[in-house]
Amino acid sequence: MQLKEAEGLYHPYEVFVQYDHLAHHQHVGSVLAASPDIALQLARENFLRRDKAVNIWVVRKDHIHATPYDVPEFFANEFDKDYRRVDGYADNARRWKAFKQKALHIEDIVNDLEKGG
Amino acid sequence: MVMENVQAVISNPEVLTALKDLLYQLADDDLVIGHRASEWLGLAPEIEEDVAFSSISQDEVGHAVFYYNLLAELGEDVADKLAFERSPHARRNAVMLERENGDWAHTIVRHWFYDSFEDLRLQALETSAYVPLRQGAVKIRREEFYHNLHHDLWFRRLIRAGGEARHRMEAAIAQLWSDVPSLFDLGPHADMLRESGILPVTSVELQKAWRDKVAGVMRELDVQVPTQWCDASDGRRRHTDALSELLQTMGEVYFIDKAAVW
Amino acid sequence: MDSERLHEQFMERIRRGEKIEATDWMPDDYRKLLLKFIQMHGVSEIMGAFPEKEWVPKAPTLRRKLGIMSKVQDEMGHGQLLLRVAEELGAPLGVTREQLITDIFTGRTKFHNVFHMASPTWADAGVIGWLVDGAAIVSQAALLDTSYAPYARVLKRICAEESFHMQHGESIILSLAEGTQAQRQMLQDALNRWWDSLIFFFGPPEISESARRMMEYRIREKTNEELRQKFLSRYVPRIRSLGLTVPDPNLHFDESTGKWVYTQPDWEKFGRMVRDNTGPKSQERIALRRQAHEGQAWVREAMTRSTAVPVGV
Repeated sequence: MQLKEAEGLYHPYEVFVQYDHLAHHQHVGSVLAASPDIALQLARENFLRRDKAVNIWVVRKDHIHATPYDVPEFFANEFDKDYRRVDGYADNARRWKAFKQKALHIEDIVNDLEKGG
Repeated sequence: MVMENVQAVISNPEVLTALKDLLYQLADDDLVIGHRASEWLGLAPEIEEDVAFSSISQDEVGHAVFYYNLLAELGEDVADKLAFERSPHARRNAVMLERENGDWAHTIVRHWFYDSFEDLRLQALETSAYVPLRQGAVKIRREEFYHNLHHDLWFRRLIRAGGEARHRMEAAIAQLWSDVPSLFDLGPHADMLRESGILPVTSVELQKAWRDKVAGVMRELDVQVPTQWCDASDGRRRHTDALSELLQTMGEVYFIDKAAVW
Repeated sequence: MDSERLHEQFMERIRRGEKIEATDWMPDDYRKLLLKFIQMHGVSEIMGAFPEKEWVPKAPTLRRKLGIMSKVQDEMGHGQLLLRVAEELGAPLGVTREQLITDIFTGRTKFHNVFHMASPTWADAGVIGWLVDGAAIVSQAALLDTSYAPYARVLKRICAEESFHMQHGESIILSLAEGTQAQRQMLQDALNRWWDSLIFFFGPPEISESARRMMEYRIREKTNEELRQKFLSRYVPRIRSLGLTVPDPNLHFDESTGKWVYTQPDWEKFGRMVRDNTGPKSQERIALRRQAHEGQAWVREAMTRSTAVPVGV
């Protein structure tokens, strides 16, 4: 990692913690630090005194691009788009029953594979 | 006059006819542009854009469903029948929207032109006297916010890039310009729509607002604004073969058996 | 530290069930096997959009139109997730998005056999959504515990979305199965067309050298045959319950071995099709992807040249 000294100023660093290898990094807060290496060390004790984790990222706040909070329309989803969700197909279960079968879910497949063999 | 619901409008045949005609314009516009947009699926210039653009096409089809459902409430057929079974000459979409897709520049220009128009039309509908439409317009306009943002970004950046991109954008603008007035054909009941407060705006007002916005952005980008402006009066009636072909494709499975459940 | 020692330590980590991150030391062999595997997975998602995409404009109701649009969109999205993992994994080797995609045209990367096949009817879209996706779900779910953590993380997201795909595919075929005689026949015909491809999808029963190494590295843990057997156990009873006939007269469950017995597909024919891109639709779909990519290089080039516009203006 490339570490640059801050130019006489402390900068806010946003902190992202990865709690285990199967999880994505998650934003938990920020620290004020003179450089990224210090920010990493500070982040550990400011955010991980109790929790276990496998990795931390710090990102200088001014390197983050964000949507504005005062434009909620950016996230507008006004109509029910259940055609792209599982619950939009809830009647499958009833329809399978007519064929004397149970509905299949992805958890069933995952369980099959965990059973081994 | 405020028309709270179906009952309030159904007793007035003149208003009802005008309202239905407008709803067909709204629904057919969004269905046709959504269908054309969905043809980009798997073929957009970047994988990331493929995903983003598909949500826009889904939104447009979703909005068409909303309008068709309003028509069904007013005694027209169910939404699927309205979308699949009506003949090309019964369609009320603006001819600009049915044209076959061109290159990405053509798609961006068409969407940007349409978004700019749709935003103005929805803005007027946000005060519509027909309450179910007013409520829908508020919701739809919120979803359209992202469309506007997205196409505006593409429009500006492709032009600013100069070179081939700018050249293609200018060619698309020139090609689409003569179709733009078709958007402003508000149909034979435009006066009734305005008087009843269902669509409280005139075509002339919409055209002026659109040209102010579009010409403003184009001048900012140092793009020449075409001067000619055709007559808008039959822009939703003089359909092309492109629409017949689109509808034929769309109905290919549906017409195997109209009565079947698919 | 010499590389032999590093390699030994790496294998110890693998044996302990530890997860490998992109920034960890890894043997070249591990990186390259994984890269090839994830690239094929990602590219298959993107090429896999085409057979269903053909039915997007023809979906027979507004709801089906929306459903299949969002399903194919997810496939592209899965391709995006996987290509990003491949790009980061391949970065030390100078691998870029550009290369991962152009490898499709030059034949340096392959995509799954099922996506070389034609999908001539709406029922094909249904069978793809139900059974091809079903097969893909079985093989993807088997990778959820892969040793490469960035891959495992995106697979978790992919599988979550696949649970919608399962229901979407089933919904289409249930309508056909509940429908008219012609609809049921359409479904049976599509099943007949896809059956051999589905059996081939999991790969030959013998364990190839690269599969053996991938299992050693715990990139994958199940054999092709194990996955095929899981698929058959879950799906054959369902196919039959709909009153459909599996087009393999030899297909049966052997109680004594606890395994499904099936007619071997023409391994050589399908293998050649994937290797040489000689399936019924291979060239047509590769040409589409090439047009989308090369034909629109001007767009990507322009976007890198033009300055950013902030959100909200």
